Formats: sequence, structure tokens, C-alpha cells
Amino acid sequence: MSVTEGKFENKAERKLSKEQERLKKVKDAQKVKDRIISVFIGFFAIAWLFPIVWTFYSSLRPYKEIRAGGVLSFPKVLNFDNYTSAISRMELPTYFFNTALITLPAVFLILLLGSLMAFVVTRYSFRANVALLLLFTAGNLLPPQLVFIPVFKMYLALGDLVGDRRFLYDSPLGVILIHVAFQMGFATFVLSSYMKTIPKEISESALVDGASVFTHFFRVMLPLLRPPLASLGVLMTTWIYNDFFWALVLMSTDSKRPITSALGRLTGEFVTDYNLLAAGAMIAALPTMVVFFVLRKQFVSGLTLGATKG
Amino acid sequence: MLNKITGHEVDRRLLLKGAAAGGLGIAGATMLAGCAPAASGPMSFGARTVDESPTQQLEALVAAYTVKSGNEVAYNATESNAFQNNLSQYLQGTPDDCFQWMAGYRMQFFAEQGLLEDVSDVWDDIGSQYSDSYKIASTGLDGKQYFVPQSWYPWGLHFRKSMMEEIGLAATDVYNWDDMLGALAELKGQGLIGLAAADKGGWEAMGTFDILNARINGYQFHVDLLAGREKWTDSRVKEVFRHWEMLLPYQNTNVLDLEWDGAMQLLLQKQSGFFMMGSWFGGNFKEQSQEDYDDLMIIPFPEINADHGRDTVDAPLDGFCVAANGGNTGVGKDFIKFAGDMEGVQAMLDTGVPMTSANNGQDKSSYDAFQVAQQAVMDEAKYITQFLDRDTRPDFAGPIIGPAFQSWFKDPSSTNDILESLQSQWDALAPL
Repeated sequence: MSVTEGKFENKAERKLSKEQERLKKVKDAQKVKDRIISVFIGFFAIAWLFPIVWTFYSSLRPYKEIRAGGVLSFPKVLNFDNYTSAISRMELPTYFFNTALITLPAVFLILLLGSLMAFVVTRYSFRANVALLLLFTAGNLLPPQLVFIPVFKMYLALGDLVGDRRFLYDSPLGVILIHVAFQMGFATFVLSSYMKTIPKEISESALVDGASVFTHFFRVMLPLLRPPLASLGVLMTTWIYNDFFWALVLMSTDSKRPITSALGRLTGEFVTDYNLLAAGAMIAALPTMVVFFVLRKQFVSGLTLGATKG
Repeated sequence: MLNKITGHEVDRRLLLKGAAAGGLGIAGATMLAGCAPAASGPMSFGARTVDESPTQQLEALVAAYTVKSGNEVAYNATESNAFQNNLSQYLQGTPDDCFQWMAGYRMQFFAEQGLLEDVSDVWDDIGSQYSDSYKIASTGLDGKQYFVPQSWYPWGLHFRKSMMEEIGLAATDVYNWDDMLGALAELKGQGLIGLAAADKGGWEAMGTFDILNARINGYQFHVDLLAGREKWTDSRVKEVFRHWEMLLPYQNTNVLDLEWDGAMQLLLQKQSGFFMMGSWFGGNFKEQSQEDYDDLMIIPFPEINADHGRDTVDAPLDGFCVAANGGNTGVGKDFIKFAGDMEGVQAMLDTGVPMTSANNGQDKSSYDAFQVAQQAVMDEAKYITQFLDRDTRPDFAGPIIGPAFQSWFKDPSSTNDILESLQSQWDALAPL
């Protein structure tokens, strides 16, 4: 590379005036920089893709072959047998239904409550609004592992109060509520950051026209919030979809748990067929991948939303 | 069967929506359900397996019970590791009425917390069908029974008859430590692995430790050590590792790269003479071929200290418990009684899945040669232990002993450091 650059500079010296030469140098330096960055990005892209590609590759190979020849052996058989048996053993329809039953209401509630909260803390100034925003965001910092025992006990106690222990514990309702509680802080934070960028004049004119608080929110603000709501919706869906922890500790009946725990059905007590598991993991990951590729614009904007404006 | 269960779940979901709408109405309904006479009505059964063969057995048991009692049973299966890790919450929350579990310390731990139902009266009815050692293993620290055994399997030295014949080794005559070392040297001389070993999973080597400790120091010391009444830094424990080290030259060198099934492959492919493991893996030989299964044989681990002979065996006992917080404990107890009774056992045996039942009523004349040998290993032992990770605190076995043994394999000369660290980690455990 340096050799070609040298030639370039020699030619340039002959033809160009000093000013042009300086510009050329800057340009060349930029080119080198770009190349280094490309290599850097390429390296990380491969590092990130590798696990997925490797999982996919493993999922195509039969376990017997791995046992006989080791993981690095040259593949003799590549087929989709693992997928068919994973699908039949995972009872996919039941578990996908369970996931939907938890994810959809949870995302809807998070967005609704989060936007209401953000609306209040940004559009109305009262003494506690910053403190309130902080409180909601701080909730995000608590690791779930820390609070799951108290939550579990609380769910049981509430269940006893109502007369049915399965009111919250071992019920989709309980898992939905805990997701709403945990993710609402983030939703509030993002939405309030975005809302601050909407000119106050819009609100003021709405108020002058005599809009009530609810009209102001539903008819004026909510339509303006469409882009961040779309991004957040996508993010939340994948996060909740991927959750394994809450469903495991707050549900006792396996057939009510979401798809992430169905993967456990592919591991045996003593033997685990990792190739079968790889196929199961690919199947379970498929919906999130589809969601990501279809809506990746919203995804990226969701991650940076409010980052520069907050 | 499955359709029925799914239907049941949907009903429950509807019920839950109702509960969300108006809790009071449901409260009334639950109270009414509570008035139903004991030993009838629907119940649920929790299986701690999703594997094919055991599922077949358990579903047969459940079906037979439903036919006999008319009580509908919901069958809830959970993968064994998830079930085990979540058991404490499971039992405190909304457990199934009857569930599959293990005997010994693991059962006593939960019985002490009042999470298991006393089934002493069930034992009054079916106790005559079991020998005393099983009753002892089913008894909690308060002297009451909390467990009904289903099946057992012994740990021992496995080998292939045909392979030993070819070599000219009378493997069944291996009685004591010197015999064993002699046989291992013979195998090594033939360019074979003497003893197939694995410890990638962290639990495989525990069986070898158990038996060496019991052979050298006796049953009582072993049990006391695991219960924390003896110290890991004791010179007697060091003696165990000194003997273990003598086995290392005859083992495969990739112990930490293999899980148990990798070591099993060494035996299956006749690359290794012996394999120390629980007999349950016979099922995998059978999957391979009937011929391989018929070739399989087991002998007790050899005697090391004549004072203790071969009087102890690791024989984990699987079975059932009734959850104290279940919705229908009465039916749960009725079910566990059926499962322990010969009638229920027969239903499981009729599936054709090999099982060595704990019930004396099982027709032993139908045992195959391998099962007869397993029985002989059991009969020779006076004391039964449940396997290290079932005989000590769960938070000590998996997270502490497992990695300690693995690091010992990396550097066997560090025995003293490892034992000291084991003891200090035991001392640092929070009281239960």
C-alpha cells in the first residue's frame, strides 16, 4: 500500500502546485483512515456474525457426527433434520402463543403508560417533575436478580388476598406487569427526551383553543410521537421476547412459559444434543431477526433517540 | 392426552381473566372447591423430565391412575435442570400436587422447611413392599416419610464382556485394589485406556470420589464429611486423592474435555476397559444396539480397606413427593400411594422401558443379565449413598466441589491447596 502511495505522491509533486499538494495529502490521509476504519468495522462485523453463523452451521449437522469426529471435523452430512425434530419436540404453537400473550399486552401497556408519564413530566411544570422522571429512570438500574424474591413473595401474598394463588404468580398477567414495571422507566426517559424537542408552541396553541388535558394528549401529542413509539415498540418487543428470567421465576407451569424456555425442552437430563439445540435456538431467534431486518431503521433510531437532544 | 392438557390450560387462562375482572367471585369458587371430599377431583402431576423414555413411563402411570380412580390428572413436564433450579419457588408457590424428586438430603432439605407433605400413612399401606434401606432413604430428619421411591441404579465399574474375553482378563474376579491396578496395567500394556473418565460436566468425577472415600474411610466418614461434620482438610481425605492419583496414569488424558457420554463412547468403541458410571447409561447402549447392551456388565468398585470391604454403593433413588402447598393434597397422596404400589409400578414396567424398581414386587426373573448384575452390586452393599450432589448442600456440590475436582485434574499435585480451599468455602457458606 505504501508503495502505491509513494508513486502517487511523486506524480503529484511534479504536476500540482503546493496548495493542491496539501489538499491531496489531506485526501490521501483520509483515504487511509477510511480503509483502517473499514478493516476495523469488518473485523467486528465478523466477530458479531460468527456466533450466529456458527450456530446455523452446527444446526445443520447431526449430533452423531460430532460425537464421532469432534466439532471441527469436516461435515459429511448437512441437512434440516434437526429443525424438524426441534419443531416437534418444542411444541412451538403453544409456546409462541404464550410469548404473544405476554409480549403484546406488555408492549402496549409500556407505550401507553410511558407516553402518559413523559407527557406529564415534560408538558406540565410542577415541583416534583424532575424528581419523578429520575425516579422512573432509576428503576431501570435495579438488577432483576435482586428483586425477584420479594416480587415472588408479593405475588403470592396478593394471590392469597384475592383467594387464588395463581392470580399473579404462575400467570401471564404477573409476567406482563413485571415487564411493564421494569421497562416503563426507559420508555418514559426516551419519550420525554423526544417530547422536549416538540415546540412548546404547539401545546400552547392547543391550550388556547381550549383543549382539555386528554384532548391535548390524545389528539395533539400522541400523533406527533409516532416515530419514537414505533422505535420503542420494536425495541421492547425484542427485549420482552428474549426474556427468560422472569418467566422462569414467576411461573411454575412449564406449558405457560414463553418460547425462550421451550428451548429447555431440547436438553436432556444427562445428554444434550447441542446440534438440535442450535436448531431450536435458530427457530426461537427467527422472529426477532425478521423484526430486526424489516424494521431496522426504527431500531437504530430507537437506540439513539433523544441521545443528542435530551 | 396432550390435547386434554392443553384444553385444561386454556380453561385456566379463562379463569385467570375472570380473576382479574373480579377476584371475589373466584375466591368463592376456590373455597367451594376446597370443600370437595378428599381423594377425588382433579390433580396435577409434575414431571422433572422431558426425555422420551421416562416420559413414556410416567404417562403410563398417570393414565393407569386415571383409569383406576377416575380422577383427572394434568401432566406438567419441565426440563430437569430448570425444574431443579426453580424447585424452592415452585414448592412455595403453586406446586403440582405430586411431583417427581430424589431421596435423601435433597428431600430432607425441603421437608425441613415444611414444603413436603408427610406420607407416613402411605408407607403404612405400602411399606411392606419395600426393603428397609429404601424406607430409610425416604425418611426426613424428623422420622416421618416424605418420599416414595420409583427406581434406582447403582454406580459401579462397567466393562464389555466380549472385550475382556478377547484380552483374557477375568474382569469379574477383580475384587480388591491390587486386582484393579493389575487389570489396568494389563489394559495399558495392550495399548488401551484402562479407565474411561470424564469431568467436563463437573459431576462425573464425583462418583469416583464418593466410592474411593467410602472404600477407604467407610460410609460413616463419607456421610459426615458431606454433611460438614468432618473436615475436608482431614488426612483421610488426602488419602482418597492419593489413591485417585494412582488411577490417573490409566485414564484417558482428555478428562476435562469429555462429558460423560464422551467417556461412554470410549467404552462403546472398545477403546477403554472400564468405565465408572451410574448404570442408567445402559439405555444409551441399548439405543446403539441390543448386542451392545447385552455385552455390558457391572461389578462393584474394588475393596481398598478390608475394614469396610465393599459395603457401600452410590445408588441414587428417584421417586415422588407430595407438595404441602398443592391444590389437592388428598388426591396427591392417593396418587403417590398408587405410584408406590405394585399396581402402579407394573403400569410403568409394562411400557417396556428398562427400569429397576425399588418395589420388591417386581418380577426379578424378567431381569436381563445386566439388571441381575446391578442387583448383585446392590445386594452386596450394606449402605446406600445417594451420590455426592444429592448428599450435600446443593450450593456446595455444583458450584464449589465441581470446579475443585476439575482443577485437581489440571494439577493433581495441588491436593492440599484444593482441600483447604474447599474447607474454607464450606465454612463461608451461609447457614441454611
